[in-house]
Amino acid sequence: MSTLTYILGWPLVAATLVAFIPRNYRFTIRVIALAATGLSMLLAIKLFSQFEVGSAELQFVQKVSWVDALGISFHVGVDGLNIGLILMGAIVAFAATAVSWEIKEREKEFYILLLIMAGGILGAFASFDLFFFFFFHELALIPTFIMIGVWGKGADKNYATFQITIYLTAGALIALVGLIALYLQSGANTFDIIELTRHVRANPLSVNQQHFIFPLLLFGFGILVSLWPFHTWAPLGYGAAPTATAMLHAGVLKKFGLYGLIRIALPLMPEGARSWLHVIAFLCLGNILYCGLVAIRQKDLNLLIGNSSVAHMGFVFLGIASLNLIGLTGAVMVMVAHGFLAALTFGLSGYLYQQTKTLRIDEMGGLLGRLPFIGAALIMAMMAGCGLPGFANFVGEMMVFFAAWKTFPLVTILAVWGALIIGSVYMLRAIRNILHGPLPTTWEGLKDASNPWRKLPFALLLASLLVFGFAPRLLTDKIQPSAEKILKMAIGASAPQAKAIKTARTD
Amino acid sequence: MKEALPWLILFLPLLSAVVITLFTKKDRELSAKLSIGAIVGSFALSMLFIALAGWEPIKQESLVTWLGVGELQVDFGLRLDALSLLMLLIVTGVGSAIHIYSYGYMHEDRSMSRYFASLSLFTFSMLGIVLANNFIQMFIFWELVGVSSYLLIGFWHERPAAADACKKAFLTNRLGDFGFLIGILLVWSALGSLKFSVLEIELAKNPDALGTLATAAGLLIFCGAMGKSAQFPLHVWLPDAMEGPTPVSALIHAATMVAAGVYMLCRVFFLLNAPALAVIGWIGGITALLAALIAVQQNDIKRILAYSTLSQLGYMVMAVGVHAPSAAMYHLTTHAFFKAMLFLGAGSVIHALHHEQNIWNMGALKSKMPITFWTFLLGTLALSGVPPFSGFFSKDEILVAASHQNGVLFALGVLVAALTSFYMFRLIFVAFLGPAKSPAAGHAHESPRVMTLPLVALAVPTVLAGFWGIENLYGKQFGLVEEAHPSSWFNHLFEPFNHAPLAALAGLGALVFGLSAAWHLYRNATRDRLPETFGVLTRVMQNRFYFDEFYATLIANTQDLAAKAADAFDRWIIAGLLIKGAHGTIELFGRALRLMQTGNLQTYTFLFVAGVALVLFYVFGR
Repeated sequence: MSTLTYILGWPLVAATLVAFIPRNYRFTIRVIALAATGLSMLLAIKLFSQFEVGSAELQFVQKVSWVDALGISFHVGVDGLNIGLILMGAIVAFAATAVSWEIKEREKEFYILLLIMAGGILGAFASFDLFFFFFFHELALIPTFIMIGVWGKGADKNYATFQITIYLTAGALIALVGLIALYLQSGANTFDIIELTRHVRANPLSVNQQHFIFPLLLFGFGILVSLWPFHTWAPLGYGAAPTATAMLHAGVLKKFGLYGLIRIALPLMPEGARSWLHVIAFLCLGNILYCGLVAIRQKDLNLLIGNSSVAHMGFVFLGIASLNLIGLTGAVMVMVAHGFLAALTFGLSGYLYQQTKTLRIDEMGGLLGRLPFIGAALIMAMMAGCGLPGFANFVGEMMVFFAAWKTFPLVTILAVWGALIIGSVYMLRAIRNILHGPLPTTWEGLKDASNPWRKLPFALLLASLLVFGFAPRLLTDKIQPSAEKILKMAIGASAPQAKAIKTARTD
Repeated sequence: MKEALPWLILFLPLLSAVVITLFTKKDRELSAKLSIGAIVGSFALSMLFIALAGWEPIKQESLVTWLGVGELQVDFGLRLDALSLLMLLIVTGVGSAIHIYSYGYMHEDRSMSRYFASLSLFTFSMLGIVLANNFIQMFIFWELVGVSSYLLIGFWHERPAAADACKKAFLTNRLGDFGFLIGILLVWSALGSLKFSVLEIELAKNPDALGTLATAAGLLIFCGAMGKSAQFPLHVWLPDAMEGPTPVSALIHAATMVAAGVYMLCRVFFLLNAPALAVIGWIGGITALLAALIAVQQNDIKRILAYSTLSQLGYMVMAVGVHAPSAAMYHLTTHAFFKAMLFLGAGSVIHALHHEQNIWNMGALKSKMPITFWTFLLGTLALSGVPPFSGFFSKDEILVAASHQNGVLFALGVLVAALTSFYMFRLIFVAFLGPAKSPAAGHAHESPRVMTLPLVALAVPTVLAGFWGIENLYGKQFGLVEEAHPSSWFNHLFEPFNHAPLAALAGLGALVFGLSAAWHLYRNATRDRLPETFGVLTRVMQNRFYFDEFYATLIANTQDLAAKAADAFDRWIIAGLLIKGAHGTIELFGRALRLMQTGNLQTYTFLFVAGVALVLFYVFGR
């Protein structure tokens, strides 16, 4: 069996196991959950280090056919596009499990759902079969709704659950229609992404079909990623979600839509993509500028982080819209970096909420003096969020700007404004109002994360951001060949950009 | 071995920052010693490297590809030439003095470990800017300088003023960086490289490679310098940044951070064309004048020095604008020495008076703090351009260059020189001479040895740096013809008067004018008599020409307004109308349909009969 199968399998096995443990063995349940996600994480790190750089071929493949009549098989593997996502997903899953000590009621059910969610996410990114790709995503999505509804917080909990459920179900449904249309129209009679791609390359879909199917995938997947103006579910939902759920969804699960766009929509429907790229480029400004501005006005920390997370998705869309090697590589880089970052910020805000029972920014202040570790980590996270070098986000955003500059100069200028100015305005205001300033007497009893176990999840996420920020080639060298392969299909061999890239690489 | 030295110089401070943060945070003494050791080590290694390899060691820039995707190739390399090596000496040398001084100044602070970690991080970032060999690498360290200055300015973060100041500094710098990054994108897309050496060759081969965008590219890159070097109209952060501990002010506002902008302009001087340089010259000139005017009416000892820094930075930028980058670097060098010393001297005074910063509460410190006074006086003399102190020579070079290029800027420079000596001697007369104006000033004592020794150490280059031939090193870097080296110190002293008498005499005249005006107004004064003479003008100066107020209004009416609009739109239109609307419509249908399903047999019968009647009406009725 492939290491990949173990990576996504352990959390699912653990979920089954926990189901058979009586609910009052709380410690055992937690240990099992930690062990399973920890094991996946270690395996993912091993996978990442064993990955062969410079190859665009699938590695660590496992393929078991399931329903031959429809061409469905369990087919997992990694290439440059998903290796980073799987590593990130596994680390975030472990961190999310580690911060779940805050859950005090119905722990058993919580951990079962959390483990299913983790396994589902990793499965979705590892799958190279359209059926399992979608199935694993739904497997992770449904627990999200339940967790927000049952363990959520805040006055808007019900409205948030309601909205996120409707939006995401609708998005997934539209994407599903697109995928089924793709399956039927291609005539390949297979759900296998690799074979489907091969088939479509030989017999391209007609321009009409592409123009019909591409927007289905674009907006279906787009809703899942909170593409403007379908974004309002995200800040609200994350604000109400329990910490671990917000970390896993905002960090990992949300990237599914982007991954689907790059993996499926771009290579299979180049014509459709080309006619919609301008639309994406302008919609991404909605994310970067508009949601950035909305974030400035937020009075609740989680809403601020949620809006900022929506804003960051804009950079990925811009990278995709630029449709060149630098842009696609940058887009994947931002996806991975943002996964770590979103998990880190939601984890920290969850810790603050545990301590203060409020996330209203104006009620806090001066917390850095009481919480040196959490405060310092939050400052670093905020700095990473406004694109400071040293953190992985900077590299990704920078690449996106360089990529988009030639095609969309005006959009790029506005996006740079969003990244450098708007981003730092709300991040610095948050630091100023939450951490700096005099400490109100109400908060003198707060406790910092002094126990190494409490620090571990945050330290892990921070370290990941720093590692890829200092040595981005660890990731970009892996992404590049696969991005090149996708690009070759998306813009065709004769397109001028491809040539420019080739010549630049040779000299 | 020789090749490894520059890397060691660069990474020693980072190592110290990391070690302090991760391991020695609890041990304040050890943390301080690590940080001091790192920068002194870097200083020693820099000297060793120059001794071994000379001033022009490279032809080969040692390279690692930091990021390489398609056309975007970013190296991590070191650019070693006279410009960067001299700057290396300044940063580590002046930095060493400030680190040692900090040990005395911050000794009672319980967060001393954090202080020294930030200081080391800052030094690392600054060295990175100096050694960068390409635009992205420079931008990375550029941003790191921004964030480490944020940490240092906001070191006492529980004070609201400091917390606001660090935020303001970071945001203002970010505005400059916005232009800088766009400029980098422009240059990269036109010339296809980010490396300074490649760009220089490309532009030499084909001077029109940037085409119509040349001026725009130059000015956008200048935006970066405008932020870091606090040029008008982005100068507002620097005076507020005085909220940081005084040694921090000395470090980032004299020798390092603010110098980065000027250094960067000199590094990419080949990119700047004549129209861009003209704008740069004017911006520099305006900054110099504006800041000098404001400095005249400040009463806080650190703020006077802050505005004086602004004004001198304006000088340097103006020098770049009048095609004299070597003069700009020369002034940057001498200014780093004496301004660091002045700030440290001010810190010594503040320390002695228990955090009193108003000069009108000082006085009569000359006899009580002799070392501080005499070094401060030397710094003032150098800053005002008294021959033979270092500042005289460097300022003279700028004035000479300005007189060749632009008569108005030359006159402006002379006016600023007069204002400089006026406000500096005002400071000396009020704070150090005359009667003691507060009880604290009466009980002041000289600071401990660890603080006065750095002052004395910095006094040496303040006095002598004019005779070391620094200008020739810079001159060679920028391809100027090397002038015949004067044979003796005596000749060197009078050389400016022979070479360009107009500039030298004008500078000297301005100095005498400012000094005598200050003598006339402030000798033995206990209060400021200037406002009585120039009512409105002094009020405007005191209020810093209302820039802060203007910006606050501007931001409130643009960015904040847009944010409010976006938030309202999100809340009421997208979330409110569309989502609740969709929700509401469906619910309305649900309610309407529910009315029909009452479970009441009579209703059903009624509806059934009504339906039948309707059908019958349609079939037969017409």
